[in-house]
Amino acid sequence: MRSSVRFTVVLLLLALLLAAAMVGCSMLGVVRFSWDEMWQSPIFLNLRAPRVVLSVLVGAGLSVCGAVYQSVFRNPLTDPYVLGISSGASLGAAVAILLGLEAYVAGVGGCALLTGLLTVVVIYRIASTGNRMHTTTLLLTGVCITFLMSAVISFLMVLRQDKMDSIIFWTMGSFASASWGDVAVVAPVVAAGIGVVVYYCRDLNLLLAGSETARSLGVEVERVRRVLLLSTTLTVAFCVATCGVIGFVGLVVPHCLRLVCGPDNRKVVPCAIFAGGLFMLMCDTLARTVLMPAELPVGSLTALAGAPLFIYLLYRNKKKY
Amino acid sequence: MIELRDVSYGYTDREVLHGVSARFEAGGMYAVMGANGCGKTTLLRLVAGMLEPGRGEVLLQGRSVREYSARQLATRMAYVRQLPQTDFEFSAFETVLMGRNPYQHRLQNESEEDWRIVERCMKQTNTWHLRFSKPGQMSGGELQRVMLARALAQQTPVMLLDEPLANLDIAHQFEILDLLCSINRNEGKTILLVIHDLNMALRYCPQLLLLHGGGVLYQGSTSEGLVPQNISKVFGIRAAVVDDGGSPLLRLQPETEV
Repeated sequence: MRSSVRFTVVLLLLALLLAAAMVGCSMLGVVRFSWDEMWQSPIFLNLRAPRVVLSVLVGAGLSVCGAVYQSVFRNPLTDPYVLGISSGASLGAAVAILLGLEAYVAGVGGCALLTGLLTVVVIYRIASTGNRMHTTTLLLTGVCITFLMSAVISFLMVLRQDKMDSIIFWTMGSFASASWGDVAVVAPVVAAGIGVVVYYCRDLNLLLAGSETARSLGVEVERVRRVLLLSTTLTVAFCVATCGVIGFVGLVVPHCLRLVCGPDNRKVVPCAIFAGGLFMLMCDTLARTVLMPAELPVGSLTALAGAPLFIYLLYRNKKKY
Repeated sequence: MIELRDVSYGYTDREVLHGVSARFEAGGMYAVMGANGCGKTTLLRLVAGMLEPGRGEVLLQGRSVREYSARQLATRMAYVRQLPQTDFEFSAFETVLMGRNPYQHRLQNESEEDWRIVERCMKQTNTWHLRFSKPGQMSGGELQRVMLARALAQQTPVMLLDEPLANLDIAHQFEILDLLCSINRNEGKTILLVIHDLNMALRYCPQLLLLHGGGVLYQGSTSEGLVPQNISKVFGIRAAVVDDGGSPLLRLQPETEV
Protein backbone atom coordinates (compact mmCIF):
# COMPACT_ATOMS: atom_id res chain seq x y z
CA MET A 1 0.00 0.00 0.00
CA ARG A 2 2.85 2.35 0.87
CA SER A 3 4.19 2.14 -2.67
CA SER A 4 0.86 3.21 -4.18
CA VAL A 5 0.88 6.37 -2.04
CA ARG A 6 4.38 7.06 -3.25
CA PHE A 7 3.28 6.51 -6.84
CA THR A 8 0.41 8.99 -6.48
CA VAL A 9 2.73 11.58 -4.99
CA VAL A 10 5.32 11.09 -7.77
CA LEU A 11 2.63 11.30 -10.45
CA LEU A 12 1.10 14.48 -9.02
CA LEU A 13 4.50 16.04 -8.58
CA LEU A 14 5.45 15.28 -12.17
CA ALA A 15 2.16 16.70 -13.46
CA LEU A 16 2.64 19.90 -11.46
CA LEU A 17 6.26 20.22 -12.56
CA LEU A 18 5.26 19.74 -16.18
CA ALA A 19 2.54 22.39 -15.97
CA ALA A 20 4.93 24.85 -14.31
CA ALA A 21 7.68 24.07 -16.84
CA MET A 22 5.30 24.59 -19.76
CA VAL A 23 4.51 28.08 -18.53
CA GLY A 24 8.09 28.88 -17.52
CA CYS A 25 9.65 27.64 -20.76
CA SER A 26 7.12 29.59 -22.80
CA MET A 27 8.39 32.81 -21.25
CA LEU A 28 12.04 32.09 -22.06
CA GLY A 29 13.74 32.55 -25.41
CA VAL A 30 15.02 35.18 -27.81
CA VAL A 31 11.91 37.19 -26.99
CA ARG A 32 11.14 37.16 -23.27
CA PHE A 33 7.61 37.71 -21.99
CA SER A 34 5.99 38.57 -18.73
CA TRP A 35 2.81 36.72 -17.79
CA ASP A 36 0.50 39.45 -19.16
CA GLU A 37 2.38 40.09 -22.39
CA MET A 38 2.53 36.42 -23.17
CA TRP A 39 -1.15 35.92 -23.92
CA GLN A 40 -1.26 38.79 -26.43
CA SER A 41 1.97 38.07 -28.26
CA PRO A 42 1.61 36.42 -31.68
CA ILE A 43 5.13 35.01 -31.20
CA PHE A 44 3.85 33.06 -28.22
CA LEU A 45 0.49 32.13 -29.69
CA ASN A 46 1.71 31.04 -33.12
CA LEU A 47 5.30 29.91 -32.57
CA ARG A 48 6.26 29.19 -29.02
CA ALA A 49 3.04 27.71 -27.66
CA PRO A 50 2.70 25.04 -30.39
CA ARG A 51 6.41 24.26 -30.00
CA VAL A 52 6.08 23.74 -26.25
CA VAL A 53 2.97 21.60 -26.68
CA LEU A 54 4.50 19.54 -29.48
CA SER A 55 7.70 18.85 -27.56
CA VAL A 56 5.67 17.67 -24.56
CA LEU A 57 3.55 15.40 -26.79
CA VAL A 58 6.56 13.90 -28.55
CA GLY A 59 8.48 13.46 -25.29
CA ALA A 60 5.51 11.68 -23.70
CA GLY A 61 4.98 9.50 -26.77
CA LEU A 62 8.61 8.45 -27.18
CA SER A 63 9.06 7.72 -23.45
CA VAL A 64 5.99 5.51 -23.29
CA CYS A 65 7.10 3.73 -26.49
CA GLY A 66 10.52 3.15 -24.94
CA ALA A 67 8.92 1.54 -21.88
CA VAL A 68 6.81 -0.67 -24.16
CA TYR A 69 9.74 -1.82 -26.32
CA GLN A 70 11.74 -2.60 -23.19
CA SER A 71 8.96 -4.85 -21.94
CA VAL A 72 8.03 -6.45 -25.25
CA PHE A 73 11.64 -7.22 -26.13
CA ARG A 74 12.43 -7.93 -22.46
CA ASN A 75 15.48 -5.79 -22.59
CA PRO A 76 16.19 -2.59 -20.64
CA LEU A 77 18.55 -1.37 -23.38
CA THR A 78 15.98 -0.73 -26.08
CA ASP A 79 14.16 2.39 -27.22
CA PRO A 80 12.73 3.51 -30.59
CA TYR A 81 16.06 5.06 -31.57
CA VAL A 82 18.40 2.26 -30.47
CA LEU A 83 16.22 -0.34 -32.18
CA GLY A 84 16.38 1.62 -35.45
CA ILE A 85 12.61 2.16 -35.59
CA SER A 86 13.02 5.95 -35.59
CA SER A 87 15.57 5.69 -38.42
CA GLY A 88 13.24 3.37 -40.29
CA ALA A 89 10.43 5.87 -39.95
CA SER A 90 12.71 8.73 -41.03
CA LEU A 91 13.32 6.97 -44.34
CA GLY A 92 9.59 7.06 -45.06
CA ALA A 93 9.51 10.72 -44.08
CA ALA A 94 12.41 11.48 -46.44
CA VAL A 95 10.68 9.67 -49.30
CA ALA A 96 7.48 11.59 -48.58
CA ILE A 97 9.38 14.88 -48.86
CA LEU A 98 10.82 13.83 -52.20
CA LEU A 99 7.33 12.98 -53.36
CA GLY A 100 6.31 16.52 -52.47
CA LEU A 101 4.14 15.60 -49.49
CA GLU A 102 6.05 17.95 -47.22
CA ALA A 103 3.09 20.18 -46.51
CA TYR A 104 0.92 17.33 -45.23
CA VAL A 105 1.94 16.07 -41.80
CA ALA A 106 -0.43 13.16 -42.14
CA GLY A 107 1.12 12.19 -45.49
CA VAL A 108 4.66 12.28 -44.13
CA GLY A 109 3.44 10.44 -41.03
CA GLY A 110 1.76 7.77 -43.14
CA CYS A 111 4.95 7.10 -45.12
CA ALA A 112 6.98 7.10 -41.89
CA LEU A 113 4.52 4.60 -40.44
CA LEU A 114 4.97 2.23 -43.38
CA THR A 115 8.75 2.11 -43.17
CA GLY A 116 8.62 2.13 -39.37
CA LEU A 117 6.37 -0.92 -39.34
CA LEU A 118 8.60 -2.65 -41.87
CA THR A 119 11.53 -2.07 -39.51
CA VAL A 120 9.63 -3.47 -36.53
CA VAL A 121 8.73 -6.60 -38.49
CA VAL A 122 12.37 -7.12 -39.48
CA ILE A 123 13.62 -6.61 -35.91
CA TYR A 124 10.94 -8.87 -34.51
CA ARG A 125 11.70 -11.64 -37.00
CA ILE A 126 15.43 -11.53 -36.40
CA ALA A 127 15.29 -11.13 -32.65
CA SER A 128 12.59 -13.67 -31.83
CA THR A 129 14.33 -16.72 -33.22
CA GLY A 130 14.83 -18.07 -29.71
CA ASN A 131 12.59 -17.85 -26.68
CA ARG A 132 14.58 -14.96 -25.30
CA MET A 133 15.47 -11.77 -27.14
CA HIS A 134 19.22 -11.50 -27.12
CA THR A 135 20.68 -8.09 -26.36
CA THR A 136 23.44 -8.38 -28.93
CA THR A 137 21.11 -9.45 -31.72
CA LEU A 138 18.63 -6.69 -30.93
CA LEU A 139 21.23 -3.95 -30.73
CA LEU A 140 23.12 -5.07 -33.82
CA THR A 141 19.90 -5.26 -35.79
CA GLY A 142 19.08 -1.71 -34.71
CA VAL A 143 22.56 -0.49 -35.62
CA CYS A 144 22.42 -2.14 -39.05
CA ILE A 145 19.01 -0.68 -39.80
CA THR A 146 20.25 2.76 -38.79
CA PHE A 147 23.25 2.34 -41.14
CA LEU A 148 21.04 1.16 -43.94
CA MET A 149 18.57 4.00 -43.52
CA SER A 150 21.25 6.68 -43.37
CA ALA A 151 22.83 5.22 -46.50
CA VAL A 152 19.53 5.37 -48.35
CA ILE A 153 18.84 8.86 -47.04
CA SER A 154 22.28 10.13 -48.16
CA PHE A 155 21.60 8.63 -51.56
CA LEU A 156 18.25 10.44 -51.74
CA MET A 157 19.88 13.69 -50.71
CA VAL A 158 22.40 13.47 -53.54
CA LEU A 159 19.59 12.78 -55.98
CA ARG A 160 17.59 15.76 -54.79
CA GLN A 161 20.03 18.38 -53.59
CA ASP A 162 17.34 21.04 -53.58
CA LYS A 163 15.56 19.19 -50.75
CA MET A 164 18.72 18.57 -48.75
CA ASP A 165 17.94 21.07 -46.00
CA SER A 166 14.58 19.65 -45.13
CA ILE A 167 15.88 16.08 -45.19
CA ILE A 168 18.82 16.90 -42.93
CA PHE A 169 16.28 18.36 -40.53
CA TRP A 170 14.65 14.95 -40.24
CA THR A 171 17.84 13.18 -39.40
CA MET A 172 18.85 15.60 -36.64
CA GLY A 173 15.57 16.27 -34.88
CA SER A 174 14.18 19.72 -34.15
CA PHE A 175 10.99 21.42 -33.01
CA ALA A 176 11.85 24.70 -34.76
CA SER A 177 9.09 24.41 -37.35
CA ALA A 178 6.35 23.29 -34.95
CA SER A 179 2.89 24.59 -35.76
CA TRP A 180 -0.63 24.10 -34.47
CA GLY A 181 -1.20 21.97 -37.58
CA ASP A 182 1.47 19.53 -36.37
CA VAL A 183 -0.04 19.48 -32.91
CA ALA A 184 -3.50 18.78 -34.35
CA VAL A 185 -2.19 15.66 -36.12
CA VAL A 186 0.24 14.40 -33.48
CA ALA A 187 -1.97 14.94 -30.41
CA PRO A 188 -4.70 12.42 -31.31
CA VAL A 189 -2.14 9.86 -32.51
CA VAL A 190 -0.01 10.09 -29.36
CA ALA A 191 -3.11 10.11 -27.15
CA ALA A 192 -4.47 7.01 -28.85
CA GLY A 193 -1.09 5.26 -28.72
CA ILE A 194 -0.63 6.00 -25.04
CA GLY A 195 -4.25 5.02 -24.35
CA VAL A 196 -3.69 1.57 -25.81
CA VAL A 197 -0.48 1.13 -23.81
CA VAL A 198 -2.13 2.17 -20.55
CA TYR A 199 -4.90 -0.35 -21.21
CA TYR A 200 -2.34 -3.13 -21.66
CA CYS A 201 0.01 -2.19 -18.80
CA ARG A 202 -0.80 -5.26 -16.75
CA ASP A 203 -0.05 -7.50 -19.73
CA LEU A 204 3.23 -5.63 -20.26
CA ASN A 205 4.33 -6.62 -16.76
CA LEU A 206 3.61 -10.25 -17.48
CA LEU A 207 5.43 -10.10 -20.83
CA LEU A 208 8.53 -9.22 -18.82
CA ALA A 209 8.36 -12.66 -17.26
CA GLY A 210 8.72 -14.28 -20.69
CA SER A 211 6.18 -15.27 -23.30
CA GLU A 212 5.51 -18.78 -21.93
CA THR A 213 4.97 -17.58 -18.40
CA ALA A 214 2.83 -14.70 -19.66
CA ARG A 215 0.67 -17.12 -21.59
CA SER A 216 0.26 -19.45 -18.66
CA LEU A 217 -0.88 -16.43 -16.61
CA GLY A 218 -3.60 -15.61 -19.13
CA VAL A 219 -2.02 -13.22 -21.67
CA GLU A 220 -2.74 -13.73 -25.38
CA VAL A 221 0.92 -13.06 -26.02
CA GLU A 222 1.02 -12.75 -29.80
CA ARG A 223 -2.08 -10.58 -30.03
CA VAL A 224 -0.99 -8.25 -27.23
CA ARG A 225 2.49 -7.90 -28.74
CA ARG A 226 1.05 -7.08 -32.14
CA VAL A 227 -1.38 -4.49 -30.79
CA LEU A 228 1.34 -2.85 -28.71
CA LEU A 229 3.96 -2.82 -31.45
CA LEU A 230 1.45 -1.41 -33.92
CA SER A 231 0.25 1.38 -31.66
CA THR A 232 3.73 2.35 -30.47
CA THR A 233 5.15 2.32 -33.99
CA LEU A 234 2.28 4.56 -35.06
CA THR A 235 3.21 6.96 -32.26
CA VAL A 236 6.92 6.89 -33.14
CA ALA A 237 6.20 7.38 -36.85
CA PHE A 238 4.14 10.52 -36.28
CA CYS A 239 6.64 11.90 -33.79
CA VAL A 240 9.42 11.36 -36.35
CA ALA A 241 7.26 12.85 -39.10
CA THR A 242 6.87 16.15 -37.25
CA CYS A 243 10.18 16.60 -35.47
CA GLY A 244 12.64 14.12 -36.93
CA VAL A 245 14.74 11.52 -35.16
CA ILE A 246 15.31 12.28 -31.48
CA GLY A 247 17.13 9.51 -29.70
CA PHE A 248 17.45 8.06 -26.20
CA VAL A 249 14.35 9.73 -24.69
CA GLY A 250 12.63 6.37 -24.49
CA LEU A 251 15.71 4.96 -22.77
CA VAL A 252 16.44 7.67 -20.21
CA VAL A 253 12.96 8.42 -18.93
CA PRO A 254 11.63 4.89 -18.17
CA HIS A 255 14.98 3.92 -16.66
CA CYS A 256 14.99 6.85 -14.22
CA LEU A 257 11.36 6.20 -13.34
CA ARG A 258 12.09 2.54 -12.55
CA LEU A 259 14.64 3.72 -10.01
CA VAL A 260 11.90 5.72 -8.28
CA CYS A 261 8.80 3.54 -8.56
CA GLY A 262 10.05 0.04 -9.42
CA PRO A 263 9.54 -2.06 -12.55
CA ASP A 264 5.70 -2.11 -12.47
CA ASN A 265 4.54 -0.71 -15.83
CA ARG A 266 1.25 0.37 -14.29
CA LYS A 267 3.34 2.98 -12.49
CA VAL A 268 6.15 3.52 -15.01
CA VAL A 269 3.89 4.24 -18.00
CA PRO A 270 1.65 6.91 -16.41
CA CYS A 271 4.71 8.61 -14.91
CA ALA A 272 6.52 8.38 -18.27
CA ILE A 273 3.78 10.47 -19.89
CA PHE A 274 4.56 13.45 -17.66
CA ALA A 275 8.27 12.82 -17.12
CA GLY A 276 8.85 12.27 -20.85
CA GLY A 277 7.04 15.49 -21.71
CA LEU A 278 9.03 17.34 -19.06
CA PHE A 279 12.37 15.92 -20.20
CA MET A 280 11.78 16.77 -23.84
CA LEU A 281 10.51 20.25 -22.99
CA MET A 282 13.64 20.97 -20.93
CA CYS A 283 15.90 19.67 -23.69
CA ASP A 284 14.14 21.73 -26.35
CA THR A 285 14.19 24.85 -24.20
CA LEU A 286 17.92 24.38 -23.63
CA ALA A 287 18.39 23.75 -27.35
CA ARG A 288 16.88 27.09 -28.26
CA THR A 289 18.26 29.20 -25.41
CA VAL A 290 21.83 28.06 -24.71
CA LEU A 291 23.39 29.65 -27.81
CA MET A 292 20.70 32.25 -28.53
CA PRO A 293 19.81 33.19 -31.20
CA ALA A 294 21.35 30.07 -32.74
CA GLU A 295 19.62 26.72 -32.12
CA LEU A 296 21.13 23.38 -31.24
CA PRO A 297 19.53 20.24 -32.64
CA VAL A 298 17.48 18.87 -29.73
CA GLY A 299 18.55 15.34 -30.65
CA SER A 300 22.12 16.14 -29.70
CA LEU A 301 21.03 17.22 -26.22
CA THR A 302 18.96 14.09 -25.58
CA ALA A 303 21.89 12.01 -26.83
CA LEU A 304 24.19 13.84 -24.42
CA ALA A 305 22.00 12.62 -21.57
CA GLY A 306 21.13 9.24 -23.06
CA ALA A 307 24.34 7.88 -24.55
CA PRO A 308 26.32 7.80 -21.28
CA LEU A 309 23.40 6.10 -19.55
CA PHE A 310 23.24 3.60 -22.39
CA ILE A 311 26.94 2.79 -21.98
CA TYR A 312 26.49 2.44 -18.23
CA LEU A 313 23.57 0.03 -18.72
CA LEU A 314 25.58 -1.97 -21.24
CA TYR A 315 28.44 -2.18 -18.77
CA ARG A 316 26.16 -3.30 -15.95
CA ASN A 317 24.47 -5.81 -18.23
CA LYS A 318 27.82 -7.25 -19.20
CA LYS A 319 28.83 -7.75 -15.59
CA LYS A 320 25.65 -9.66 -14.91
CA TYR A 321 26.25 -12.51 -17.37
CA MET B 1 -9.52 -34.98 -17.35
CA ILE B 2 -6.40 -34.46 -19.49
CA GLU B 3 -5.94 -36.71 -22.47
CA LEU B 4 -3.27 -36.92 -25.16
CA ARG B 5 -4.45 -38.71 -28.30
CA ASP B 6 -1.74 -39.95 -30.63
CA VAL B 7 0.24 -36.72 -30.20
CA SER B 8 3.37 -36.02 -32.22
CA TYR B 9 5.54 -32.96 -31.97
CA GLY B 10 8.80 -32.01 -33.59
CA TYR B 11 11.09 -29.00 -33.46
CA THR B 12 12.60 -27.91 -36.76
CA ASP B 13 15.47 -30.37 -36.68
CA ARG B 14 14.03 -33.43 -34.95
CA GLU B 15 10.80 -35.06 -33.84
CA VAL B 16 10.64 -35.27 -30.07
CA LEU B 17 7.36 -37.05 -29.45
CA HIS B 18 5.65 -39.44 -31.79
CA GLY B 19 2.28 -41.03 -31.30
CA VAL B 20 2.01 -40.36 -27.58
CA SER B 21 -1.29 -41.31 -25.96
CA ALA B 22 -1.82 -40.81 -22.25
CA ARG B 23 -4.54 -40.01 -19.75
CA PHE B 24 -4.33 -38.02 -16.56
CA GLU B 25 -7.31 -38.38 -14.24
CA ALA B 26 -8.62 -35.56 -12.05
CA GLY B 27 -7.08 -35.58 -8.60
CA GLY B 28 -4.07 -37.69 -9.57
CA MET B 29 -0.47 -36.96 -8.77
CA TYR B 30 1.67 -37.98 -11.72
CA ALA B 31 5.43 -38.21 -12.07
CA VAL B 32 6.55 -37.57 -15.65
CA MET B 33 9.91 -39.26 -16.05
CA GLY B 34 12.44 -40.16 -18.69
CA ALA B 35 16.01 -39.51 -19.79
CA ASN B 36 17.23 -36.00 -20.72
CA GLY B 37 15.80 -34.76 -24.00
CA CYS B 38 13.10 -37.44 -24.18
CA GLY B 39 10.32 -34.85 -24.44
CA LYS B 40 9.11 -34.36 -20.86
CA THR B 41 9.13 -30.58 -21.11
CA THR B 42 7.61 -30.73 -24.60
CA LEU B 43 4.81 -32.91 -23.26
CA LEU B 44 4.10 -30.45 -20.46
CA ARG B 45 4.12 -27.51 -22.88
CA LEU B 46 1.72 -29.34 -25.18
CA VAL B 47 -0.63 -29.94 -22.24
CA ALA B 48 -0.30 -26.27 -21.25
CA GLY B 49 -1.42 -25.28 -24.76
CA MET B 50 1.84 -23.49 -25.55
CA LEU B 51 2.69 -25.77 -28.42
CA GLU B 52 0.40 -27.02 -31.11
CA PRO B 53 0.82 -30.75 -31.76
CA GLY B 54 1.98 -31.65 -35.24
CA ARG B 55 -0.46 -34.56 -35.18
CA GLY B 56 -3.10 -35.72 -32.72
CA GLU B 57 -4.73 -33.61 -30.03
CA VAL B 58 -4.54 -32.67 -26.40
CA LEU B 59 -7.87 -32.54 -24.58
CA LEU B 60 -8.73 -30.83 -21.32
CA GLN B 61 -12.14 -31.86 -19.99
CA GLY B 62 -12.99 -33.23 -23.43
CA ARG B 63 -12.11 -30.03 -25.29
CA SER B 64 -8.91 -29.32 -27.22
CA VAL B 65 -6.60 -27.08 -25.18
CA ARG B 66 -6.03 -24.92 -28.26
CA GLU B 67 -9.72 -23.94 -28.17
CA TYR B 68 -9.44 -22.34 -24.75
CA SER B 69 -8.41 -18.68 -24.51
CA ALA B 70 -5.19 -17.95 -22.60
CA ARG B 71 -7.25 -16.53 -19.75
CA GLN B 72 -9.54 -19.58 -19.56
CA LEU B 73 -6.52 -21.88 -19.52
CA ALA B 74 -4.84 -19.78 -16.84
CA THR B 75 -7.76 -20.40 -14.49
CA ARG B 76 -7.60 -24.16 -15.16
CA MET B 77 -3.89 -24.95 -15.35
CA ALA B 78 -0.86 -23.38 -13.70
CA TYR B 79 2.50 -23.99 -15.33
CA VAL B 80 5.90 -23.56 -13.73
CA ARG B 81 8.75 -23.71 -16.19
CA GLN B 82 12.40 -24.50 -15.66
CA LEU B 83 14.86 -21.69 -14.97
CA PRO B 84 12.73 -18.58 -14.66
CA GLN B 85 14.74 -15.53 -15.66
CA THR B 86 14.15 -11.81 -16.01
CA ASP B 87 16.21 -8.63 -16.17
CA PHE B 88 13.53 -6.55 -14.50
CA GLU B 89 13.37 -6.74 -10.78
CA PHE B 90 9.90 -7.41 -9.49
CA SER B 91 9.82 -8.33 -5.80
CA ALA B 92 8.78 -11.84 -4.81
CA PHE B 93 5.43 -10.49 -3.61
CA GLU B 94 4.75 -8.75 -6.92
CA THR B 95 5.75 -11.92 -8.76
CA VAL B 96 3.31 -14.06 -6.80
CA LEU B 97 0.62 -11.40 -7.21
CA MET B 98 0.90 -11.91 -10.98
CA GLY B 99 -0.67 -15.31 -10.40
CA ARG B 100 -3.93 -13.47 -9.73
CA ASN B 101 -3.90 -11.92 -13.21
CA PRO B 102 -6.40 -14.30 -14.86
CA TYR B 103 -9.04 -13.24 -12.33
CA GLN B 104 -8.64 -9.50 -12.78
CA HIS B 105 -9.81 -7.03 -15.35
CA ARG B 106 -7.03 -5.13 -17.16
CA LEU B 107 -7.63 -1.80 -15.44
CA GLN B 108 -8.57 -3.25 -12.07
CA ASN B 109 -6.27 -3.28 -9.07
CA GLU B 110 -5.73 -6.32 -6.88
CA SER B 111 -8.37 -6.75 -4.18
CA GLU B 112 -7.90 -7.50 -0.48
CA GLU B 113 -8.89 -11.05 -1.34
CA ASP B 114 -6.01 -11.32 -3.83
CA TRP B 115 -3.58 -10.05 -1.21
CA ARG B 116 -4.81 -12.63 1.30
CA ILE B 117 -4.45 -15.45 -1.24
CA VAL B 118 -0.92 -14.34 -2.09
CA GLU B 119 0.03 -14.19 1.58
CA ARG B 120 -1.35 -17.69 2.18
CA CYS B 121 0.44 -19.16 -0.85
CA MET B 122 3.73 -17.56 0.15
CA LYS B 123 3.41 -18.87 3.69
CA GLN B 124 2.61 -22.34 2.34
CA THR B 125 5.79 -22.36 0.26
CA ASN B 126 7.84 -20.81 3.05
CA THR B 127 8.61 -17.66 1.03
CA TRP B 128 6.69 -15.02 3.01
CA HIS B 129 9.92 -13.76 4.60
CA LEU B 130 11.27 -13.18 1.06
CA ARG B 131 8.35 -10.98 -0.02
CA PHE B 132 10.44 -7.84 -0.53
CA SER B 133 13.39 -9.65 -2.14
CA LYS B 134 14.31 -9.14 -5.79
CA PRO B 135 15.29 -12.04 -8.06
CA GLY B 136 18.99 -11.07 -7.77
CA GLN B 137 18.83 -11.38 -4.00
CA MET B 138 17.32 -14.87 -3.97
CA SER B 139 18.97 -18.24 -4.45
CA GLY B 140 17.83 -20.59 -7.22
CA GLY B 141 15.85 -22.64 -4.73
CA GLU B 142 14.13 -19.61 -3.22
CA LEU B 143 13.20 -18.38 -6.69
CA GLN B 144 11.82 -21.81 -7.50
CA ARG B 145 9.60 -21.71 -4.41
CA VAL B 146 8.38 -18.22 -5.31
CA MET B 147 7.37 -19.53 -8.75
CA LEU B 148 5.53 -22.37 -7.06
CA ALA B 149 3.75 -19.84 -4.84
CA ARG B 150 2.66 -17.96 -7.96
CA ALA B 151 1.28 -21.17 -9.46
CA LEU B 152 -0.64 -21.82 -6.23
CA ALA B 153 -2.02 -18.27 -6.31
CA GLN B 154 -3.57 -19.08 -9.69
CA GLN B 155 -5.90 -21.46 -7.80
CA THR B 156 -6.21 -23.89 -10.69
CA PRO B 157 -7.43 -27.47 -10.54
CA VAL B 158 -4.35 -28.60 -12.50
CA MET B 159 -0.69 -27.83 -11.86
CA LEU B 160 2.04 -28.57 -14.40
CA LEU B 161 5.47 -28.42 -12.79
CA ASP B 162 8.62 -28.75 -14.85
CA GLU B 163 11.39 -29.89 -12.50
CA PRO B 164 10.26 -27.88 -9.48
CA LEU B 165 12.94 -29.58 -7.37
CA ALA B 166 15.86 -28.77 -9.67
CA ASN B 167 17.51 -26.12 -7.51
CA LEU B 168 16.35 -27.27 -4.10
CA ASP B 169 18.39 -28.78 -1.29
CA ILE B 170 17.19 -32.10 0.05
CA ALA B 171 15.28 -30.54 2.97
CA HIS B 172 13.36 -28.23 0.64
CA GLN B 173 12.74 -31.07 -1.80
CA PHE B 174 10.93 -32.96 0.95
CA GLU B 175 9.15 -29.82 2.05
CA ILE B 176 7.86 -29.03 -1.44
CA LEU B 177 6.85 -32.61 -2.16
CA ASP B 178 5.02 -32.81 1.19
CA LEU B 179 3.26 -29.57 0.28
CA LEU B 180 2.30 -30.85 -3.19
CA CYS B 181 1.04 -34.09 -1.68
CA SER B 182 -1.13 -32.29 0.83
CA ILE B 183 -2.51 -29.98 -1.87
CA ASN B 184 -3.22 -33.02 -4.00
CA ARG B 185 -4.98 -34.83 -1.16
CA ASN B 186 -6.82 -31.96 0.51
CA GLU B 187 -7.74 -29.78 -2.45
CA GLY B 188 -7.98 -32.53 -5.05
CA LYS B 189 -5.65 -30.79 -7.47
CA THR B 190 -4.25 -32.76 -10.38
CA ILE B 191 -0.47 -32.48 -10.43
CA LEU B 192 1.88 -33.37 -13.26
CA LEU B 193 5.45 -33.27 -12.09
CA VAL B 194 8.65 -33.68 -14.09
CA ILE B 195 11.03 -35.24 -11.61
CA HIS B 196 14.39 -37.01 -11.88
CA ASP B 197 14.82 -38.61 -8.48
CA LEU B 198 13.44 -42.14 -8.79
CA ASN B 199 13.08 -42.70 -5.07
CA MET B 200 11.29 -39.38 -4.56
CA ALA B 201 8.87 -40.32 -7.33
CA LEU B 202 8.32 -43.71 -5.77
CA ARG B 203 7.65 -42.17 -2.41
CA TYR B 204 5.44 -39.23 -3.38
CA CYS B 205 3.78 -39.83 -6.74
CA PRO B 206 1.29 -42.71 -6.93
CA GLN B 207 1.08 -42.44 -10.74
CA LEU B 208 3.82 -42.53 -13.34
CA LEU B 209 4.24 -41.66 -17.01
CA LEU B 210 7.56 -43.02 -18.24
CA LEU B 211 8.77 -41.69 -21.60
CA HIS B 212 11.36 -43.40 -23.73
CA GLY B 213 12.47 -42.84 -27.31
CA GLY B 214 9.73 -40.30 -28.04
CA GLY B 215 6.92 -42.56 -26.90
CA VAL B 216 5.27 -43.83 -23.72
CA LEU B 217 7.08 -46.80 -22.22
CA TYR B 218 4.78 -47.14 -19.25
CA GLN B 219 1.79 -45.46 -17.68
CA GLY B 220 0.29 -46.64 -14.46
CA SER B 221 1.17 -47.08 -10.83
CA THR B 222 4.66 -45.85 -9.96
CA SER B 223 5.61 -48.84 -7.84
CA GLU B 224 4.82 -51.18 -10.72
CA GLY B 225 6.46 -48.95 -13.33
CA LEU B 226 9.78 -48.23 -11.67
CA VAL B 227 11.04 -51.77 -11.92
CA PRO B 228 14.66 -52.70 -12.69
CA GLN B 229 13.80 -53.70 -16.26
CA ASN B 230 12.27 -50.29 -17.15
CA ILE B 231 14.95 -48.31 -15.33
CA SER B 232 17.66 -50.20 -17.18
CA LYS B 233 15.95 -49.55 -20.51
CA VAL B 234 15.38 -45.83 -19.98
CA PHE B 235 18.45 -44.77 -18.04
CA GLY B 236 20.93 -47.61 -18.54
CA ILE B 237 21.18 -48.00 -14.79
CA ARG B 238 21.11 -51.15 -12.74
CA ALA B 239 18.46 -51.03 -10.03
CA ALA B 240 17.44 -53.30 -7.24
CA VAL B 241 14.30 -52.92 -5.15
CA VAL B 242 15.01 -53.29 -1.47
CA ASP B 243 12.63 -53.20 1.45
CA ASP B 244 12.93 -49.99 3.47
CA GLY B 245 10.84 -50.67 6.52
CA GLY B 246 7.75 -51.70 4.55
CA SER B 247 8.09 -49.33 1.61
CA PRO B 248 10.14 -50.05 -1.50
CA LEU B 249 13.47 -48.29 -2.08
CA LEU B 250 15.57 -48.40 -5.22
CA ARG B 251 19.27 -49.05 -4.93
CA LEU B 252 20.94 -47.75 -8.08
CA GLN B 253 24.34 -48.22 -9.72
CA PRO B 254 25.78 -47.78 -13.23
CA GLU B 255 25.49 -50.83 -15.43
CA THR B 256 29.16 -50.78 -16.33
CA GLU B 257 30.21 -51.21 -12.72
CA VAL B 258 30.99 -54.73 -11.53
